[in-house]
Order: sequence, then C-alpha cells, then structure tokens
Amino acid sequence: MRPSTALLAAATTALLAATACSPSGEEPAEGELITVTAGVIPIVDVAPVHLGVEQGFFSDRGIDLRLEAGSGGAAIVPGVVNGEFDFAFSNVASLIVAREQGLPLVALGNGATSAGEQGADFGGVFVLDDSDVTGAADLEGLTVAINNLNNIGDTTVRQSVRVDGGDPGEVDFVELPFPDMPAALETGQIDAVWAVEPFASVIREAGHREIASNFVDTHPDLSVAAYFTSEDRSARDPELFEDITAALAESLTYAEANPDEVRRILGTYTEIDEQVIERMVLPRFPEEIDEESVRTLADLMVTDGLLDSEPDLDALLP
Amino acid sequence: MSTATAQAPTPGGVRRPGVRARTAPDRPLLGTLGILALLLSWEAVPRLGIVPERYFPPVSEVLTTLVERAGTAPFWEAVGHTLYGWALGLAIAFAAAVLLGFVLGSTPRVRAFTTSTVDFLRPIPSVALIPLAVLMYGTDIRSTLLLVIYACFWLIYIQVLYGVADVDPVAEQTARSYGLGRLSRIRHVVWPTTLPYLMTGLRLAAAVGLILSITAQLIIGSPGIGQQITNAQQGGAVALVYAWIVATGILGVVINIGVRALERRVLRWHTSVRGEAAA
Repeated sequence: MRPSTALLAAATTALLAATACSPSGEEPAEGELITVTAGVIPIVDVAPVHLGVEQGFFSDRGIDLRLEAGSGGAAIVPGVVNGEFDFAFSNVASLIVAREQGLPLVALGNGATSAGEQGADFGGVFVLDDSDVTGAADLEGLTVAINNLNNIGDTTVRQSVRVDGGDPGEVDFVELPFPDMPAALETGQIDAVWAVEPFASVIREAGHREIASNFVDTHPDLSVAAYFTSEDRSARDPELFEDITAALAESLTYAEANPDEVRRILGTYTEIDEQVIERMVLPRFPEEIDEESVRTLADLMVTDGLLDSEPDLDALLP
Repeated sequence: MSTATAQAPTPGGVRRPGVRARTAPDRPLLGTLGILALLLSWEAVPRLGIVPERYFPPVSEVLTTLVERAGTAPFWEAVGHTLYGWALGLAIAFAAAVLLGFVLGSTPRVRAFTTSTVDFLRPIPSVALIPLAVLMYGTDIRSTLLLVIYACFWLIYIQVLYGVADVDPVAEQTARSYGLGRLSRIRHVVWPTTLPYLMTGLRLAAAVGLILSITAQLIIGSPGIGQQITNAQQGGAVALVYAWIVATGILGVVINIGVRALERRVLRWHTSVRGEAAA
C-alpha cells in the first residue's frame, strides 16, 4: 500500500523541475520566534525532539518548532524537497539512497543510535519460541519480514547472517508493516521478523525468541537515523540552521542523559501502552553521527546491490 | 404545527401507517439482529482463541476504548478534521460536476469530444495520485481535498451526464413548442430529469469521499481519523485501532442515513421515492 521510498524519490526527482521550490523561509521580525516545521513520524526514535520543544531548547534560540507527524514516512522526503518541512527525520539508508538518486539532502545531526548490546537493542530479529532457528545463519532458505525492502532492515539483517557464517543471498525478505509483525509471527505466516520497539517488546513478552541484533552486528555504534534538510533550504538560512543544529544537539544530549524523561514524553505523543514504555529498550542518543558506522552501512548497501557505486557520503554527512 | 406535518403527505398519508405496519417491521428488526449477530461473533472469536486476543481484541474491549476516547477533545478534533476534508471535497466536486455536467452534457458535440478523455481519467484510482498530492501540497488539507475531489467528481459527473441524456424528447419538444427558453427548459425539463441521477451520484460520492478522506490521512499523515489510526498502530494499541475503525463505520452509517434523508426530501415527488413509501 505504501509507496516505496525509491518510487517516491524517483517521482520526486521527476517532478522537482515542475514544482519550483516555494520559498518557505519566513522573515523573522525582531524578538519574534521564527516558525520552523519538522516532519517527524510518531515513533520512539524522535522522543528527543519532542523533549527539546518541551524543554525550550528551540524557543531559547528564537525557534518556534512545529512537529508535523507525517505517517509512514511517505510524505517526509518529498516534504523536505518541496519546502513544506524545514527539516525532518529519516533512517540513514533512506537518506543515502535518496542522495544517490540526486536529491540534495544533507544531514543536520544524529537521530537515533543502536543501543549497542547484543540481545538488548531497540530492534532485532525474532522467531517463534519453538522454531529450529538458533542463529542468523539458520535463516538461509527462510523468509524474514522487514518494513521496507532495499533499506536499512534487509541490509543489516543480511549482515547478521554473514557475521553468523551464513549466506545472506539465501534469505528471502518480504515487506510487512511493523505493527503487523507480532501477529504474523505468532500465527506462523512468516518464519522470522525484524521488528523495532515497541513491537520488539510485544514479541518478547509474547514469549518469542530473539536470534540476532542486526544493528549491533552491523556496527555497535550504528547511527540508525538522522535529522536532515535540503541543501537549498539550509543555504537560504545558514544562521537559522546553525541554531537548529545546536538545539537538536542539546535535545539529544538531554535525552541521552535522562532516559526517564524519554519514557515520560513517549506517553504524550504515542499510543504505546504504559507498561511497554516502562520496559522497552531505548535507542541511544549521542548528538554526533558515527561516521564510521554510516560508512560500514553504505559499504554493505553496495555489497548487497542497493547502490551501484560507492556513495558520496561527504556530501550527505554534516 | 404538528397537524400541518401530519397532513403533509396528502392522499397516501391516510393509508400509510397501515401499510407500513404490514411490511416495514421486518427491516429494522432484521437489521438489529444482524448487528447483534456480528457483535456476538466478534466477541466470541477472540475469546474462544480462534484468533489471538492480543491482536484482535473482543468487541467489548474495543467499545470500552471507543467510549473512553469519545469523552476526550482530541477524538472529536480528529473526527472534525476528517469530516471537514470530506464535506469540503464533496461540495467542490459536486459543484464542479453539476456545472460541467450540465454544460458539456447538453452540447452533444462537446460531450463526444470529451468522452475519451473522461473514460481515460475516470478509472485512475485516487490513491494513485498520493505521490503527486504529497509533492504539491505536502501533508496539508489540500492533499486530502485533491484525493476526495478526484474520486467524487467522476461519480457525480457521470451521473449528471446520464441524467442530461435521459431527457424525454417529447417533453423537450413540448417545452420548445410552448416557447420555453434555454434556461427555462433546463429548469423545468432537464433539471427534474437529472435530479434522481444526481442524487444517486451524490450518495455514492458521499461514501467514497469518506473513504478517501480517511485514506489520505492514513497514508499522508494529515490530521484526522486516518492519522489517529496510524498513530495507534505505531504504538501497538490494538484495541484503539479497532475503536477508530468502529468509529469510522458509525460515521459512514450516519452519513448514509443523512444522504438518504436528503434524497427522500429532494425527490419526494419522484416515483422511486413515492413508490418506496407506498409499496
């Protein structure tokens, strides 16, 4: 149902010429806040920016940040390209693919980082408790559900298979939205699922088994997602974007230092059950993108054929 | 006041209560039984473990959640957003379809000229336009409007074309020989002929418009019921997802009842409505 990222990016590129970017930069009046709109999906990873708004990290810098919840991310990249969003949140693999397809996107700062611990990350690969699968290598010949094909999910799960000594080419992937994964696994419609929180917790609590922490297998400090904008937008207001970057960094640092605050704010913008919020594994929120981890991810994307050639990461990363 | 309304449905009105007593009671009774059966099986299926309760909560849990939410402001805000997109989109589509339908439909040459284009555009599903809508309007209400208008327009437009083409040539010639001008003929001949078709188009479009209004919010993420469903899904709040789905169903039923009432009122002179009342 949801248009794939690649399709959207292609459509965006094709129509970019037709829709000249509308200038959305409001002229700041003295002493007034500048309204900035951010496209963020209502998931766990964006808790820091919600905290940042609440704690006044943005308003202290003269920014009135409006968070718009585009749902599955379908509207996020086009929203940034056509100027509807001043900046937005996306996973790093999507950004690399979009950049390679010619969309002039630049990262502003880190979004969310792997918790870094085997078996206790905010995302992992799960099988039924009575499954014969004991490690990622056993996934050969089986079907794994991921939320988006040709993206961060399959790339990192393939790496788990590789690290465990299996042949990633032998694993089949199907697309399934995260919310549908617990039921699909439990009813035996699928052999294994790659799920992130809160669904990872739902699956754990249903008594199923985690066989791999695919982010950790890729890089223990993997920067999974980032905040980004378009080159045009940041070039038009370089000072504003310095402030936004600083406010984002402060928000992430605050979230990293106060996990209880993260759990509290999750109760305000998500519908996640209170008990799940208490127990689930949170991402880490270092303010800087771990460049090495992104290069590792990009190399894997080349190895797996998601990219034709080595991407120009220097243009994307801050 | 009350006597006036009682007298309104003149000759048939006297007999109607008796007629209704003979045939009508089965309908609401069966309808209620149908709903009860549905609710009972919804309660039973998860409770008996036919599907896991965790992923498909029984209806009692869903309705409790719905009632809880219906007492909060964000619930009605979301309903308001959805209805606003639906009503505005439907109104624009209606106005455009009626205007274009009458103008193009009453000129056979123009109609022939546009037929192939219409046949090409009509089957394009509105949801296929989502990437375009997002690109042009982002998560703005205009995205929702684009999808609603596109879907509703064709439904009404085609009906208007059929209606305009259905004018009885004898009535048309009679009107001409009585010296009625073009506008008068539209008013007294074409309009009454088209009206039943138009109402059918409106009824179809009202239902489809609601679907599209919610779909747009689901996929694009503009505020409304669709966005709330996504948010509940993303949070793993299964009962809430179904609560919103039930709310959507109720909304659909209310809208359908409303349009049917409007149809009966507007077409009270028409045999289809009079026939329905007297049969």
